[in-house]
Parts: sequence; C-alpha cells; structure tokens
Amino acid sequence: MAAGRLVGTPVPRFEDKRLLLGQARFVADINIPRTLHMAIVRSTRAHAVIEGIDTSRAGAASGVRRVVTGADIVEAIAPLPSIDLAGGGLVACYRALAAGKVRHVGEPVAAVFADDPFQAADAAALLDVAYRDLPVVLDMEAAASATPPTLLYESLGSNVIHTCEQSVGDAAAAFAAAHRVVEDTYRIHRCVASPMETRGVLADPTGQDGRIVLYSSTQFPHLVRSFLAGVLGMAESDLRVIAPDVGGGFGVKCEFYPEEVLAVWAARTLGRPVRWIEARDDHFVATTHAREQVHRVRAVVDSDGIVTAMMLDSLTNNGAAAATLSVTPASISSAMLRGPYRIPNYSARSRSVVTNKTPLAVYRGAGHPQAVLCMELTMDHIARAMNIDRVDLRRRNMLAAADMPSDRGTAIVLAGKVVYDSGDYAGCLARALDLAGWKSRDERAADARRRGKLFGIGIACLVEETASGPYETGGVRVDGTGRVTVFTGASPHGQGTATAIAQLIADELEIDINRVSVRHGDTDVIPDGVGTFASRGGAIGGAAARLAARKVREKALVVAAEMLQATPADVVWAEGKALAANGASVTLAAIAGRATAWNARPKGLTSFNLAEEAHYQVPGMAFANATHICELEIDPGTGELAITGYAVVHDCGTVINPMIVEGQVVGGIAQGLGGTLFEEIRYDKSGQPLTGRLADYLLPTAADMPATLRTNSMVSPSPFNPFGMKGAGEGGATGAVAAISSAVADALAPLGVRVTSDGPFTPPALLHMIKSGGRTAAA
Amino acid sequence: MTIPAEKSHFISVTVNGERAILHVSPRRLLADLLRDDLGLTGTHVGCGTGECGSCTVIIDGETVRSCLTLAVQADGATIETIESVGSSGRLHPVQRAFHTHHALQCGFCTPGIIISAVALFRKNTRPADAEIAEVLQGHLCRCTGYRNMIDALRSIAHAEDR
Repeated sequence: MAAGRLVGTPVPRFEDKRLLLGQARFVADINIPRTLHMAIVRSTRAHAVIEGIDTSRAGAASGVRRVVTGADIVEAIAPLPSIDLAGGGLVACYRALAAGKVRHVGEPVAAVFADDPFQAADAAALLDVAYRDLPVVLDMEAAASATPPTLLYESLGSNVIHTCEQSVGDAAAAFAAAHRVVEDTYRIHRCVASPMETRGVLADPTGQDGRIVLYSSTQFPHLVRSFLAGVLGMAESDLRVIAPDVGGGFGVKCEFYPEEVLAVWAARTLGRPVRWIEARDDHFVATTHAREQVHRVRAVVDSDGIVTAMMLDSLTNNGAAAATLSVTPASISSAMLRGPYRIPNYSARSRSVVTNKTPLAVYRGAGHPQAVLCMELTMDHIARAMNIDRVDLRRRNMLAAADMPSDRGTAIVLAGKVVYDSGDYAGCLARALDLAGWKSRDERAADARRRGKLFGIGIACLVEETASGPYETGGVRVDGTGRVTVFTGASPHGQGTATAIAQLIADELEIDINRVSVRHGDTDVIPDGVGTFASRGGAIGGAAARLAARKVREKALVVAAEMLQATPADVVWAEGKALAANGASVTLAAIAGRATAWNARPKGLTSFNLAEEAHYQVPGMAFANATHICELEIDPGTGELAITGYAVVHDCGTVINPMIVEGQVVGGIAQGLGGTLFEEIRYDKSGQPLTGRLADYLLPTAADMPATLRTNSMVSPSPFNPFGMKGAGEGGATGAVAAISSAVADALAPLGVRVTSDGPFTPPALLHMIKSGGRTAAA
Repeated sequence: MTIPAEKSHFISVTVNGERAILHVSPRRLLADLLRDDLGLTGTHVGCGTGECGSCTVIIDGETVRSCLTLAVQADGATIETIESVGSSGRLHPVQRAFHTHHALQCGFCTPGIIISAVALFRKNTRPADAEIAEVLQGHLCRCTGYRNMIDALRSIAHAEDR
C-alpha cells in the first residue's frame, strides 16, 4: 500500500499470512530438546484440609523426574500478587501449590515432571492425597453474611476481602425526598472467557548465563517478568519473557498463574526446559472465571422520570482466592453503574467475597457488562412503572455532549478518577434507533405475534472506560535502507494491533506501510512495557509509537538540514523525504544512513542513529460509548430464542482501522451473546463443577449469530489522547449482555415476568419463566 | 493401578505428499503425531475432545478431527494438513478470502476452518449458503463472531470467474 493517509482506512492485516498458512508459533508449537513435561495434580475437593500427600507411587512411575508438593516450595515461592488489592484481603493471595488446605476444585496441589506428557499425566493420577473435608460455601451472599457457613481464610475473620465505596452528591437526602423508588436485585452469572488457545508455558534454562526464557501465552509479558522476579526472588535481568503468537486472551491472560511460576522454578531447579499446555478441561477450573455478581440497585425517580439518585450494594463472587486483578470487576461496575446518565447523587458499596469456586477476575468488559445490565434493566423497569417511553426516559437522563468533560465523582482502582472525556450519547442513541428500524418495530412485532412468537426489543446505552493503565512504551528505529522497525510495549494477541500501529507510523513518516514492521511480546527486545488489556493496545500503545516516530521525524529534519546545507527551519518533511527550500531533497534511507555510527555525528544531534523512544503516560482514561439494540423472538412452546436483528452504533474516538474495529465489535457481540444465551459455569452443592468441557459449556457457533447485524460508528476524539483515540476491544461484549437481556425482558413483560438477570436465557430457562410468569430471574 | 506396557506399532502415512514410516504407541493421537513427530504445528488442538474443530485435517479426502483419531488408525492413509494449502507467494482462494474479509483475528482456530472450507469447495465449487453454514457450525471461533467468515466463503461461492 502506497504512502498517504492510512489512519481511518481498512488496511488488511500483516498478521494474517502466517496464521493462514499454519506458520504461526503458539507456545505449544515450540519444541526444545530434552524438555520435561509438567502435569498438575488438582484438588478434587472444594474445601478441605490436606492431611497428607503420598508421592511414592507417582515418583516411581516411568519417566518421572520430580514430584513437588506445596510443602516443598512454600519457602521458595512467595504467594502470587494481587495488584489491585490492599489491606487484610491480601491473605487471600494464591499460592503456586496449595499449602495446608485447598479451597476450590482445580486448585494446584502438586506438580509432576516427566520426560513425556503422557508419563506425567499417568504419574499425576498416582498421587495419593488425603483430604479432610470442610464445609463449603459457594453462594456469595451466604459467604458475606455475618454468620457464613465457613471461612476460607480464618485469619481474615471474614470472607469479604475488599470493600470499595463510591459517594457522589447526597444520595441519602434524595431518598428521603423520593417521589418513587424503583428497586431490584440483579444476578449476573459466572462465565469463562475460553480463548481457543488455552494457556501454556515453556520455561527454558538452557540459554546463556543461567537466564531463564519463559514463553507464555500471556497478554502482559513485562508484568509476568516482574511478578516472577518478585515471587521467586530473582533479578528481572535473569528473566526473559516472550509472548509468542497468542490465541486470544479476553482478559484471562492478563493474570499471573501458578503454572508460570512452577515452570520457571522447575526449569531453574532441574536444569531442563519445562513445558505445560493447559488441557481444555483444566481451563474450566484453573483459568480465572468472570462476571458473577449480585447487585441490589435502588433508583430514585422524580415525577418527570428524572433519576435523581441511585444506591448500589453489590457483591462479587471472587472464588477461592484474590486473582492478579481481583477487585477490578467490583470497582469498575460500581464506578461505572450510571453509564451515560446524569444521576447527580450516587452511593455504592461493592464487596469482593471469597467462596469455594475457581478464582474470578476480568473478562472482556471487566465490570462493565454487569453495570450496563443493571442500569439498562433499571431504566426499562422505571419506564414500565411510570408509563414513559423507554427511549424518551433515557434521553431525559442522558449527559449532553456539551457536558463534556464530565467529572463523575467516582474512581476505579488502579485506573483513577472517572472523568468522561467526550461523546454524544443522545446522538449515538438516535443513530442506533434509525439503524435498527425502531420506528417500524411494531410491524415486526405484529408479524412475529401472528406467527405465534413472543417479540422483544432491547436497548443498551453504554459508556466504558478504555485506554487505562499507567503508560505504554514505543520505539522507532530506521535502518540505512529506510526500513522502519517499531517496538511496542503492547502485547497483542489477535487484535491486529501491529497493523494498526504500522498505519500510524506510516502516516507520521509519510512512507509506504510495507516498509514498517512492528515487534512486540519479548522483554529482551522491548525492555519496558505494560501490555494489552483494558482496550489500551491501539490507543495507548499506538500513541506511544507514533510519538516516537514524531521524534524520529524531527531528528531526521536536523540531519537532513546538514545534508542539504540548509537550516533546520528551512527543511520540511513531505512524502517520506526532507525537502529544502531550493527543491533539493534527501530520503529517509539516506538520512538514516548518515546518522549511523560510522559517520561523524551530524551537526545539531546529541545521539547517533535515527532511533527514538517514547514513554506515553495517560493523562486520563478515554471513555468510549455505544448504543446496542437487539430484536428477538421467543417460541412460547419450546423456549427457543432467535435474535432476528441487531444494530450497534459505537464511538471509540479516532479510528485507526475501521475493519479491525468492526471485527472487535462483532466478535465482542458474539461473546456477549454466548454469555447471555448459553454459557454458564455451574457447580453442584458440594462445589464440584458441572461444566468441564465445550460440550457442557456452549460457545456460540456461526448458527447462533443474529440474522442481521448492522454496525455504524461515530467519532468523538478523546481530548486525553494526542491522536484522539479511544479503545475498541470490549464495547461489543459489554453492550450485548444488556441489550439481549433487555429484549428478553421486553418479550416477557406482557406475561408479567420481570427480568433481573443476564440469563443464560436457555430454552428450559425461558420456558420456566414463561410458565411461572411473574416470578423473577432465570431458573 | 499399574501402567500397562505399551506395544508400539509401525505405521506408514503420506502427509502432504511425503511418505513417512513412524513408530508409534497405540495411544498416540494423530494430532500429536503431526505436530510433534512431523513438526507440522499448523494443526492446532483447542479442546482435545472433538468440539472445537481447530485440529481438522483431511484424511483420504474426508475432514477428520485429528485429536479424536489415533495415529494407528491413520496407517496407510493420505493426510493433508494446513501446511499443504497455499504458499506465501500464492495463498489458496479460501485463505485469500479470509484475509480480504478479515475473517480471522487470533488465528488459532483458522487452520482447521480453512481445511474444512477447502474440502467443501473441492466437493462443490458453488456451495449454497446452507452448506457453508453447516461447515462453519462444525468449528468454534472465539474472536470473530463468524460473520466475516461467512462473507469470505460466500464471496468464493459467488465469484464470477472461478
């Protein structure tokens, strides 16, 4: 593709070819001679004391080189960090292997290292663990009560590991003067992200100087390096972490896991490479779950339908331990509950609670899908209760574009104060209504009813925090042939961020994009970085890289001035060349060659080489917004649900690559749809998981996608980003959960059913709701 | 429980046009044979239980889940993997369509889907939408939402000059 303005155009991805040809290198594709294979023995009990572990049979099995239990490593490996948690709750941090007791089915109890993965698995089955069962608590309300059935961490004296509070205006006074209070308790069920590539690690100690190279399927290799150094007492310089091709993450790979630590520890201890590839059934118990919360929401409404105050009391079921990002779901959902609506008075208490389930952390949207669900169903309930049009009610309460920037008075842990930067929420709603054919919905409803179907249409208006996280790094280096290498601290895993960043750099230097290559995901190549999560890769990583390119361009002009015998002020940059007033020019390649170390240092420069770095710190989060509208039909006889139409208008500020953004939006909708219609992690009463494979935990297939799916976009550049960019990765999933649930609520409202959950709205659950009309929530 | 001694078997397979004779244990999976013994790591294992379709290969003209196939079952068979489809200089039409329609993101599931689509177009150069849908329903993708895949495959089925 030729030089020219590329930002805003659908440049095909550079990432594709290797992936299409089967030439990519995921962790499981890397083979190193003499590798040992690690098998993890996982707890079969939800809550139990480990009375003893007999490793003799496992240790004597064919090919086994070592068996390790929690007692063996309790001194060598510190608990895994939780970076958003402070205070007494830190006692709930996870250990690489259970010490003394187990708190959920799937918790690592021992590790077996053998010459072959089958030998390791065979030996793992021979480990004898004696358990003494303890009472189990799975329900977060029971766990948080004053008299819980059991305590997971006795020294904490409670199962509540953290409480975050928000207070804006005077919610109590507004309640005292309330015209009407609309109150509901919303339940959001447990899901798991399920990237198609499970997790995997390979730790190699056979490189130089006793350093360990860890290949890990991770979203944040630099943080993994820091965490490993911390828990193992190693110098960061003795570690190199590489995220090779990574097959999706969606949040579960921006967690730090026991297997990463165990592989590095074993590689150091045993002197051989150590490999572990997560089996899919392990993924269901060993990779962080997501979403599960209960929110008690009270809204004060005046006689005009203006919501003057809200109060939130929420619980997050964090499972058995504090994950790396443990408080973030509770924090985001409480800070962002009010979404695009003014609601001047607000108070919230959000408690994070431990139970005997797999630890829970972030998954695409983090706490946003839950917040949007509660807010939008509350809006629907108010509209019905007061007989106000749903759209009109939303409009009356929305912030106006003129209100921006808008300090919301809340804060998100790690990310900081919530100050909406830009956005036209009412405009977005209006465009979505047009796109969805809102005006003609009654005709389609009548048609559906003639066919015996229940018809529902749902709306979700959302604002989401994006582009958060402290900073990102970017480096740009031009070689003597004029080729440009970009180094980014972002660590993409399917998004196409390398292509997007190449577009930014090609535009900044006004060169052919094919001269740009982007490197990421290797802590030796990119010494400092943060990673890809929180919809930040393009917006922050892209900004850092482009700022570095800008510095390169400025430096190039200084070098060119000398070459052209002009003053820097008389030289301009155009089409990848420096141009003097007399028409003479020098190319980027020539300038880069001139600046190399085997020439005298160019006049006016303090350093050689056309290479610069930028460290972009975020002045504030960028807030993307969207409106999703979902139309569906339910067969009242079978409970079968079909999404007949879906429309979304989204705004993520300045768009680098609309093809990639649309891919993110549609893919996100598919995930939200799966979580609302089928997916649910279930347990029996004793804490045994009932969803252990993709045959019980149903991901959406091509057949489940909406019959029609229309997307459109708006552009409200972020004033907090030098290039106006906001994040685009999570809004699709965030909006879909609420839009679909709102549509189900609309379909079932004539039967007297009040929907206060995000499903999953499976046929049996819908049939139950239809038959028991008036009862709340899904079965 | 004792681990039974394994009796190994010699098998002969033709993979991507090259014949190989291999010594395999009875429980060795075809997916592992392809990936670990032959180094053909383009075939991915996403679930190991036949649900996701990432490991799909063509055996004697039919698409098969290589994670559910024992290596010994493939004795004498002709196997095609993603490595035999297209080349860097000349992508297969299915690969080209996936690229232009942005029908892949992380790309982990992609080789299996490409293999199934290649097999579909061999049997029917102009498959109906329902046939395309049926093939895609045998695969899980967590990134794309499938829409662009459907468009990519339709674009081939509806192309004027194939």
